[in-house]
Amino acid sequence: MGIYKFIGLFVALMSASIVEARPISWTGGSTIMYKSNSMMSSYYYHYSPSFKYSVGAEYINDRYYNDQYISIRSTYLLDRKNTKASQRNLYLTASISTKNNDDLYYGVHGDWETRRYFTSFSILDKRASQEDYTENEFQIGIAPYLGEYNQLHTWIMLKSKKDTREDKWKTYPFIKLFKGDFLLEVGSKESHWDLHFMKRF
Amino acid sequence: MYKIIILTTLFISNNLYAMDNMHDHDSKQHDHNSHVAVDGSKTKLDDAMYNKFVSDLGSSQVVIVDVNGMVCDFCARGIEKTFYDDALVKRVLVSLETGKVLIAYDNAKKVDFGEIKNIFLSNGQSATGMTLKKIT
Repeated sequence: MGIYKFIGLFVALMSASIVEARPISWTGGSTIMYKSNSMMSSYYYHYSPSFKYSVGAEYINDRYYNDQYISIRSTYLLDRKNTKASQRNLYLTASISTKNNDDLYYGVHGDWETRRYFTSFSILDKRASQEDYTENEFQIGIAPYLGEYNQLHTWIMLKSKKDTREDKWKTYPFIKLFKGDFLLEVGSKESHWDLHFMKRF
Repeated sequence: MYKIIILTTLFISNNLYAMDNMHDHDSKQHDHNSHVAVDGSKTKLDDAMYNKFVSDLGSSQVVIVDVNGMVCDFCARGIEKTFYDDALVKRVLVSLETGKVLIAYDNAKKVDFGEIKNIFLSNGQSATGMTLKKIT
């Protein structure tokens, strides 16, 4: 357990953030994602050889720098606590761009949720050839009703994020829809749509 | 410098994953030696859910499992997919509301609570109680 604490502390101290819903699938599961916001859009595929680990490739269209590239990303479940009504997770994540040696990121991501409430945070430290920056993000959410498995689950969410290239926090609501293998998040901030689609298989 | 840090992080993550696999393998061996892996004495049954599940099932063995950490459909889907990989599994029902999973096995299956517990562990949830019922 000592090594776990050391790595977690190391990454937390070195990084300064992203929140991604459930960045690791079930054992042997695959996930495809599409994400779009004012700064970037991306297509991401990852495979989970275990519920503790995933590795995948992401195609990124960077709108801020008008750049496109592919990254190899790995996520590790550092700690999980299951109770009858809740689950808490702490993840480490790291990514290396195939474009050049200067583009990479690493960080930590945590969440706690019940069937009614959701909270999460993420800290990503990004090293780019243009400039280094960090992304910090926090989310809270509530499910107005409790759906059973395979029914439509609806979450009313609030996201607060800061990209140091813009140097200010942005807070906005969004809706998360969940059903079976599918997840869709839709939000809007400053006339830009925030979209996140995920499918597990 | 940062390249070294990121590669080190990835390397350590891979090694931790490999170490976890070794641990899981060890625990599987241990569990196979004990037929009952968890205490099922406190497992309560929802009659309506159970009756619906066993209707038209025929002669079977039904395991009712109490599960911790089952908070969303992704958790449930992983459990369902993994159990259906076993050809002797006839039916699976996941109830997020009650935190229970019902698994119907063919009578040819030798039900091993240790094996079932490890299936839940491999999906990231924890089985805390199990009850086996024979359907004739």
